[in-house]
Amino acid sequence: MQAVSVPYVQVNKQYVEEEPELLEIIRNVLSSRSYVLDSLIDELESELAEFCGTKYAVTLNSGTDALMLGMMAAGISRGDEVITPPNSFVASTTAIVHIGARPVFADVLPDQNIDPAAIESAITPKTKAIMAVHLTGRIAQMDLIQAIADKHGLMVIEDAAQAAGSRYLDKPAGSFGTIGCFSAHPLKNLNACGDSGFLTTNDAAIAQRVRRLRSHGMSDRSTVEEWGFVSRMDTLQAAIVQYRLKQLPTVIQRRREHAKFYQTHLQLPQVFIPACRPQEYNSFHTFVIQSERRDELATYLATQGISTAIHYPIPIHLQPAAKSLGHKPGSFPITEQQAQRILTLPVNQFLSREHQVAVVDAIKAFFAKDA
Amino acid sequence: MSIKTPSPKAASSHYLEVPWSYLPKQFNDRAIEEIFARLRAFIPTGDFTLGKPLVEFEQKFAKLIGTKHAIGVNSGTDAIKLSLKALGIGPGDEVITAANTFIATVGAIVEIGATPIFVDCTDNFCLDAVALEAAITPRTKALLPVHFAGQMSDMPTIMDIAKRHSLPVVEDACQCILGNIDGKNAGSWGNSGAFSLHPLKNLNVWGDGGMIVTNDDALAQYLRKLRNHGLVNRDEVGIMGYNSRLDTTQAVVGNWLIEQVDFITDTRIAHAQILDAGLSAIQQITLPPRYTNRKLVYHLYMVFAEQRDELLQYCIAHGIETKVHYPLPVYLQPAVRNLCNTQLGDFATTDRHAKTMISFPAHEHLSKDHLEHIITTVARFYRE
Repeated sequence: MQAVSVPYVQVNKQYVEEEPELLEIIRNVLSSRSYVLDSLIDELESELAEFCGTKYAVTLNSGTDALMLGMMAAGISRGDEVITPPNSFVASTTAIVHIGARPVFADVLPDQNIDPAAIESAITPKTKAIMAVHLTGRIAQMDLIQAIADKHGLMVIEDAAQAAGSRYLDKPAGSFGTIGCFSAHPLKNLNACGDSGFLTTNDAAIAQRVRRLRSHGMSDRSTVEEWGFVSRMDTLQAAIVQYRLKQLPTVIQRRREHAKFYQTHLQLPQVFIPACRPQEYNSFHTFVIQSERRDELATYLATQGISTAIHYPIPIHLQPAAKSLGHKPGSFPITEQQAQRILTLPVNQFLSREHQVAVVDAIKAFFAKDA
Repeated sequence: MSIKTPSPKAASSHYLEVPWSYLPKQFNDRAIEEIFARLRAFIPTGDFTLGKPLVEFEQKFAKLIGTKHAIGVNSGTDAIKLSLKALGIGPGDEVITAANTFIATVGAIVEIGATPIFVDCTDNFCLDAVALEAAITPRTKALLPVHFAGQMSDMPTIMDIAKRHSLPVVEDACQCILGNIDGKNAGSWGNSGAFSLHPLKNLNVWGDGGMIVTNDDALAQYLRKLRNHGLVNRDEVGIMGYNSRLDTTQAVVGNWLIEQVDFITDTRIAHAQILDAGLSAIQQITLPPRYTNRKLVYHLYMVFAEQRDELLQYCIAHGIETKVHYPLPVYLQPAVRNLCNTQLGDFATTDRHAKTMISFPAHEHLSKDHLEHIITTVARFYRE
């Protein structure tokens, strides 16, 4: 078999595809001398709100800040508990910690998203909110989660950092919870050329408060209404996000085709791929397989020129930073087992069919070796 | 860009537009072309997060200030916040700062759960070292002098106090890049120095940005983790961190502008000298102290004026974009009063300044005519 190099990300290809439009956009921002909180921001916020099916969207410096400022604006504070899965990127948890609340972990399902049954048993009198993380671009089971939240009078927070454009029961990510928190980091499906993020909500008071919080807590040039932050999306990044929002459906469509190919051709007893439920429209920020021999497989694929990644090898509750939370190995068995088994295959929108065939053949060859 | 219709007053010989903002000049058509060319070369690299141009900018910045390290962050506010956090300041700790600063200084203290303790300033707009020492309690965990408006706090005295009380110092140098005392730059005195790169600062980028400088290797290493989710490497999270990186795209703009920072600084100083000479001859105007051993960089050019509010309106009516920084001192802001129980009259000098200080444009893109117009307009106001 001829080895082909299969890259995990191809930011350069994205540039080549977009070059003429992107350069014009950058030039326009420069020529208009627009820096921060310009009318362009208002425009983009309307478009993002429309795309996510919410009344409001507020642009921010990052997805992490969307979680942090959003939870503050929603009234979560010191002493409150927020239930969240331990297998996310660490920012989901640090956002909770930084507002003085306590992260309470609930284990996940085979599809890597938070387990509704585990949520129920993590609820205490101090629980204020459930933060569902739509990991890999698959929306958590929001109907079940909302039912639990309603039953216990809790708020639902969507960490949709990996799920821009994903749908569940035909509703877009960001439209389920009290707030939806998105990242537009360069490695996201909807990406800026630097750090960027945004928040969605149907609650006018939350939107207004986050707008204040992102700009020193100021209600006008001279009045500081409350303690705030600096967390604004630069207009340069906003213009790029605005352009790429229009491309996003195509990006997702291509990724879905790649995912479909893997799903069809990787039906092996040694490989577990969580099925897509009929009510899911997944955007495949990542395409993750699970296998007992993950490390050997990753090493083998690397020798075949195929880059893979692991999202994430160390669960949050076992990170040095989480020591004070007092968890031990064994606290969240599914998450910990998955951390040993998960492997992210290249699924970026620029893969060719040849790339994909190479990935499938290499995985099959690996398992055939000692069959 | 919108084209302003000429004001009916434009015909008057007593009218000349003196703009506050230098941005249209700083980013003129030629500059736009140069920046565009740099971005065009950078964007295809995809090196967007903590990329090479950022490393280059940090090295240039550290060299400029004269420190071992510079760490790019998302804003000047974050530069203060992360500095305090890295020094172990948290809930219950007191941080002493100036009662007249921009809100962000105080916001940074509050954000990490610490308590701001205010002290009054002297007539150079920077905190009073005597009042500072008197405000120290057993709960004091850091000193946060603010080099307001491009003036320098009395760093030799403050560092001496800090040493005697074993307290760390974070310098809020957001408005004072390249200001110095006896040749030692703002930001290089304390444990760390915080800078803002916001478009309205002397050295700026194309959006929000900030920089922390320090000579402390361990502090620098901790700060680099703190700004990047606490990540020790791709997989391991050592501490609960933030997402507060200076965008590499912004660093590309910073690398372009940092070459002009000496021109910007020197021109502002020259303009301030012209304004000083003209305005000091007017009886109703008092200049803040000037020093032979200090380099003041005039991020804001501020003086004290009798009948300040009328003068302000008169200057604006004659085309000069005149401002007040700030009409409501930070300690009297609603957000602060709720937290610190401060009230009007607590800080006499700050209160007096709020009523008498006035800021005139003095930036590097003004002409001699602009400066002359400021002086003659102020003189005419008091004559009339």
